[in-house]
Amino acid sequence: MTEKIRLTTSDDQEFIVERNIIERSVLIKNLLNDTGYDEDSEAIPLPNVRSSVFKKVIEWAEHHKDTTFPDDDDEDARKSAPIDDWDKDFLKVVDQEMLYEIILAANFLNIRPLLDAGCKTVAEMIRGKSADEIRRTFNIVNDFSPDEEEAIKRENEWAEDR
Amino acid sequence: MTNVPTNSDLETTWTFVEPGLKLIIGGGVDDNEGVNPKMYMNVYSAIYNFCITKSSSSGNLAPNSGSQSSLLVGGEIYNKLKGYLSLYVTSLEKNPGETFLEFYVRRWSRFTIGAGILNHVFDYMNRYWIQKERSDGRRDIFDVNTLALLTWKDQLFIPNSEVLIKEILEQIKLQRDNQVVDTAKLATAIKSFVALGIDVNDLKKPNLAVYIDHFETPFLAATKQYYTAESSEYLASHNVIDYMKKAEQRINEEESRETLYLDEHSKKPLTDRLNEALIVAHKQVMYDKFNELLDQNQIDHISKMFGLFNRVQSTLEPLSDLLSDYIKTQGNKAIENLKNDIANDLTKANLPVSGGAILKNVDPKLYIRTLIQVHKTFDGVVTAAFQRNPIFVKALDSACKGYINDNSIAKPSGYKGNSRTPDILAKYSDVLLKKSKDADAVGDMSLDDIMTIFRFLNDKDAFETYYRRLLARRLIHGTSSSEETEEAIVHRLQSENSLEYTSKISKMFQDIRTSHELRTLFKEEASKDAELARAADFEPFILTEMMWPFNHTPNKFQIPTDLEASFLKLQDIYQSKHNGRVLKWQWNLCRGDIRANLSKPGKVPFTFSMTLYQIAICLPFNETDTYTVGNLLELTGLDQVSFTSAIAPLIKFKLFTQEEGSSIEDPNTKITVVKEFKAKKLKINFAALVRGIDNSKEQEEAEKEINDDRKMYLKACIVRIMKTRKSLAHNMLINEVIQQTHQRFSAKIADIKKCVDELVDKEYLARKENQTYDYLA
Repeated sequence: MTEKIRLTTSDDQEFIVERNIIERSVLIKNLLNDTGYDEDSEAIPLPNVRSSVFKKVIEWAEHHKDTTFPDDDDEDARKSAPIDDWDKDFLKVVDQEMLYEIILAANFLNIRPLLDAGCKTVAEMIRGKSADEIRRTFNIVNDFSPDEEEAIKRENEWAEDR
Repeated sequence: MTNVPTNSDLETTWTFVEPGLKLIIGGGVDDNEGVNPKMYMNVYSAIYNFCITKSSSSGNLAPNSGSQSSLLVGGEIYNKLKGYLSLYVTSLEKNPGETFLEFYVRRWSRFTIGAGILNHVFDYMNRYWIQKERSDGRRDIFDVNTLALLTWKDQLFIPNSEVLIKEILEQIKLQRDNQVVDTAKLATAIKSFVALGIDVNDLKKPNLAVYIDHFETPFLAATKQYYTAESSEYLASHNVIDYMKKAEQRINEEESRETLYLDEHSKKPLTDRLNEALIVAHKQVMYDKFNELLDQNQIDHISKMFGLFNRVQSTLEPLSDLLSDYIKTQGNKAIENLKNDIANDLTKANLPVSGGAILKNVDPKLYIRTLIQVHKTFDGVVTAAFQRNPIFVKALDSACKGYINDNSIAKPSGYKGNSRTPDILAKYSDVLLKKSKDADAVGDMSLDDIMTIFRFLNDKDAFETYYRRLLARRLIHGTSSSEETEEAIVHRLQSENSLEYTSKISKMFQDIRTSHELRTLFKEEASKDAELARAADFEPFILTEMMWPFNHTPNKFQIPTDLEASFLKLQDIYQSKHNGRVLKWQWNLCRGDIRANLSKPGKVPFTFSMTLYQIAICLPFNETDTYTVGNLLELTGLDQVSFTSAIAPLIKFKLFTQEEGSSIEDPNTKITVVKEFKAKKLKINFAALVRGIDNSKEQEEAEKEINDDRKMYLKACIVRIMKTRKSLAHNMLINEVIQQTHQRFSAKIADIKKCVDELVDKEYLARKENQTYDYLA
């Protein structure tokens, strides 16, 4: 049986997670190695993660406990890999707010594959959309004047998908 | 629990993280005090918060800066950390009573752990701000771990490196002087130099600059100095054997030291310095000892010496030359002894002593065994002391080639011809392969010995020629002891040299087999013919002319009428099978047994083994008791010389009497057969008593054959080479010919030139300028 690790989220919820699962987080993995954490230690505080988000992160980590991800240093392989099917579904069902929070948590906890999947999902949401559509998707108020907008359009004409 | 500052400025954040950093880096009350998980997380979160909060605000505050890197923040806290580390490292102090080395190792061990953890708690800054800066080309910004190491290097190591290295080298010297030192400390300190080698342009590339400049160079110099002094002192008061033991022991010690605390990089240079100081510097005294060790057969010491020299490739060649010279000398000495023994025997027997006389009287078995013995001895030495190292195997081979082909028996002084060893080896083989009553005499001879010497012969073609001559006699006289052994040796010669090499010999065996078939056929025919019934034992040999070493001289001879029928019948049978083939008769080689009723009445008749000429001389005496020489010459058709040599033993052993005082060359001399022959044995071999062709004449013939064959071989070789090359420079051609012929004989350049000239005359080749030849199709 693997070691259990206790963690406390920002809203004071305690989680008990198996060490090999939580070690998907490079932050926690380093911390466990660097501090000599044991059963008697205080729960590890996660000041930047809410329990509802952490739950999702754990769910993701449990699903991927046997997955081998491409090497962190192999930037090209990481960037070009399509989003894992399970990850796609996993991130599709959450609302936009939760998606951002998962991304932030992955960034904080240093869980590279989850961060990548989250960012790619956002990128998918932008792909093929017009400026107006993107504004609608992300709730962005257009604060350009019509002149400014015309200038930007002209400058970026080359990028228009025709 | 959210006491981690968010949205805070640099000072607030720093004040919050500093106590944690202090514990991490080892600045606590107790060196070993570390951080707990909560503190760890707080520091990490504070850095994280600082970096992300400031980025969004700085984005708002400086909307004009277009570069994306301005959105990432870290520079301020990076500089803060840099200053903090520098201050920390310079504040470190030795404990009282501690050597600098002890202090350095104690602090370094703790510092590297702290730097690792620091690197982790600053992970967020490493991941974004530092990576961005470095990929934008900043080479003065590093991940936190590297920053910590560089700080250590610049603030602590460089200012103190002299004292530190001095202490390390002192410790190593103490250890070499057999004192106990703390090798773990040495290992830690030395490994730190590897860790401090940082290439600011490529942090992932290992860089040994610090290790090499600060430690390895002085270490190697100290090593060389130490062992140069030690080895000279030691040799001044000890003998070479002790010195070799000492050197071996020192090398072993250094090798184990090497694995204890040196970087892999130093392995080769250290080995070089040791070899230089311990081996190369003293090689001459060891070389000088070598012959003595060989004389005393001190295999262990020789092996030790080889072990040392084997570490320095360039020192092996001179040693192998010494070995080669030694073997040659021993080989020549052994032969010289044998030669003296023969000379003594000749003197005792009142015979003249000369190189030729010794050659004639040398016992092939003794000679070959002497050669073998020397080879065997040193083959053993090469195995036991030199582990069959190729350089020494080669030295052995070349030495053996030397004394086996060229020694005072094989080439007596003043003798200009080819080595006689092939000739003697062929005779040795003949002794081994011939039927012998004395089984013990050949008991200790073997095919292996023949092959051992064969391998070293320069003139393998000469051996083939002599061997074939002796083989021919064994085959047609049926004196071979075992067909199996005969074939075994041919197989071995073939696999040792080439199929071509034994082609004539193989053809000879084939001739013998077809002759046996012919004989069977003849027997069948003879059994049907009453007139031939007596000839059932006739044993004909049909030999291919070029393959056998017999010169056909059209002898004058009248076949006795008694034998004519079988002779004609055989010719009939053969011609009907092989129409058109020319049969030439080698009358001089034929032999037969005749029964002579010359015993005392009532006793068993004698059996005489005779040559065909002798038989032809005897048969007329069935009619009359006395003939003149003239009569006999007419009846047999023989010339005077053949007649004289054939009849000589018959007269000598009193089968015939010759008129008192007459000459055998006078046609009027009367020859009379005795009434009653007296001899102890019933079977007399008169054939063997015929004085054969002079030994020297036979050798002359063999030499001529060898030289003619060589010429042919060389010409064929030249034509073959030129045919493929079309055009070739003189020297290239000579080299290639030598290369292609060396398996058979060592070609003399003068002979090759002669052959080339002949080929030019015959317009196979054309001579061009620049000493080049063209092939003419």
